Amino acid sequence: MASRGWLEEIKSRAREGLFKPAPYGEDIDLTEYNEALGRGEFDPARAEEVGFKTGGNAYYLQVDQNYFKYATRLSGVEIMTVREFVENKPDEARDYYWRLIDPGKDKYTATAALLERGGYYIRVRKNTRVEEPILACLFLSTSGIQAPHNIVVVEEGGEAVVMTGCTIAPESAGVHIGISEFYVEDRAKLTFIMVHSWSRVSHVRPRTSAVVGEEGYYLNYYANLSRVKTLQTYPEVSLGTRARAGLYSVVLGLGDASIDYGGAVYLKGEASSAEIVSKALARDRARVVTRGRLHGVGRETRGHLECRGLMLSRESYMLAIPELSSETLDASLTHEASIGRLAEEEINYLVSKGFTRDESISLLVKGFVSVDEKLFPPRVKSVIDSVEKLIVGKAM
Amino acid sequence: MMKLLEVRDLTVEAGGRIIVADTNLEMEEGEVLYLLGPNGTGKTSLIRSIIGYPGYNVVKGRILLMGEDVTEKPMEYRVAKGLGLAHQIPPRLSGLKVKTLLEAICSRRKCDPDEVASATQIQHLLERDFGRSFSGGELKRVELATLLAMKPKISFIDEPDSGVDVDSVKLIADGIRRLMEVSSSILVITHTAMITKYIKPTRVCLMINKRVDYCGGPELLEEVFEHGFKGMAGGNQV
Repeated sequence: MASRGWLEEIKSRAREGLFKPAPYGEDIDLTEYNEALGRGEFDPARAEEVGFKTGGNAYYLQVDQNYFKYATRLSGVEIMTVREFVENKPDEARDYYWRLIDPGKDKYTATAALLERGGYYIRVRKNTRVEEPILACLFLSTSGIQAPHNIVVVEEGGEAVVMTGCTIAPESAGVHIGISEFYVEDRAKLTFIMVHSWSRVSHVRPRTSAVVGEEGYYLNYYANLSRVKTLQTYPEVSLGTRARAGLYSVVLGLGDASIDYGGAVYLKGEASSAEIVSKALARDRARVVTRGRLHGVGRETRGHLECRGLMLSRESYMLAIPELSSETLDASLTHEASIGRLAEEEINYLVSKGFTRDESISLLVKGFVSVDEKLFPPRVKSVIDSVEKLIVGKAM
Repeated sequence: MMKLLEVRDLTVEAGGRIIVADTNLEMEEGEVLYLLGPNGTGKTSLIRSIIGYPGYNVVKGRILLMGEDVTEKPMEYRVAKGLGLAHQIPPRLSGLKVKTLLEAICSRRKCDPDEVASATQIQHLLERDFGRSFSGGELKRVELATLLAMKPKISFIDEPDSGVDVDSVKLIADGIRRLMEVSSSILVITHTAMITKYIKPTRVCLMINKRVDYCGGPELLEEVFEHGFKGMAGGNQV
């Protein structure tokens, strides 16, 4: 049996970060929470809201920290829990497990590494192209910490869509720490859709990192469509030669939410390119910070970054922080940022076309949250469409 | 016969300034009325006041729509009652596709967005964000498309021929002809009068110095071309 020393190194590293706050977002005292060990009570209706339906050909369902169900009937697609992956294929796991994210980065990564329970491992074999989305649901039925660790590997020339919905039973005081490490190999494509719907007393700290090989493509869509107490995340993507990335997000802040959402793409490979479009809405007394960073390293890299904020109440607060940096003369990086309310001119225009004021606002909010559907595979469009409708409904 | 629209002695203030003064205007069934006048004379302000745009405050006078006094009614009410406006420069609506807007209008006014798009030759714009990178002519045709979908009793068309090339004016005129099939009457604002080559008026009014100064038959167009707006100023009151 192979040495397990590398696993001990991960835990040792995690222990070093156990009390380290994250650089962004509100600091949460995790000692107030126990591990969420519930009775596996699953709510299909809530899961459906975040795009998860049982009965698909490839899926992973996790409830709390202790109930797992998964299956795959898709040729070339392997699914198991990350724990099984590490236990059954340690030599392979060693190349992927905590390789993109430092377990000692902050208290959240450290907690996930030390709990070491839950999360999916999905591998899409070389040149396997799967149109049907692989569905995943991470459900919290009780109060406490849920810290799944997800690993997705799309081998060379493969293509897959992974849709993950994360949600919680109403009024549960949960902490969700999702660790995600994505490996998109040469000429592979991963479309990753994540939809969150939390409760007004939940804290959310996803930690995501992706590495994309030569001519690979990583397409990410993230939506937060309901109340949350605090949310902070900063996914990072590293691109190889001629690799591409698109990060699109719609974050809705309601009630007293404190949200710090951002992302960075490191354009390392020559002629790599990326687009980050971050849209945030703040209602009630929500405080929303949107960040974005493009960093050029390789020659002839290109990138565009948008941070757009829509304020829907006088008590809300927004901050947009777009960042561009480069180590090369040949990078072409641009950004746009805006914060503001809906323009009266636009509302009045639509009223002049026969809509009521509320209908006009609804149309404009829908326009604000919409993403370019042409970017996404056909099977994903209906999910994004229903997510947009839900966000508009909740933003009004 | 009941008039579709009566504007009686209307004075309007916006931003602390009088922008329409002592103006009278009437429209009947089946009219193609041209409202001519130099830039900045208050033509757009007048039709915005009639349709009830916020910020245009009636200081004096009344607006009657099919006999009903709508002076105090909001824009929503007046539009529902049968007024429609093709704006001179509509705002860009980020993320809102032309198709989505037409579908939303058609869902309540019983029309087919594709037919409307075809009639105004904007099929190629349906999947684009409203107003994004449109040419001047495309903007005008999309505006006409929204009116075609709304089927208002009275259509106001604000400067359909400004900022467009000759070829575009022809296409816009085609769209206006289609609009004449669904609207009882139309009012066209123009200061260049290029559109008059393609769409003939039944009546012409001049607006000069914030008031509608003079109305007459189609022959008034020739007088305007001959004397210019300055030469026409100070004519008979309507």
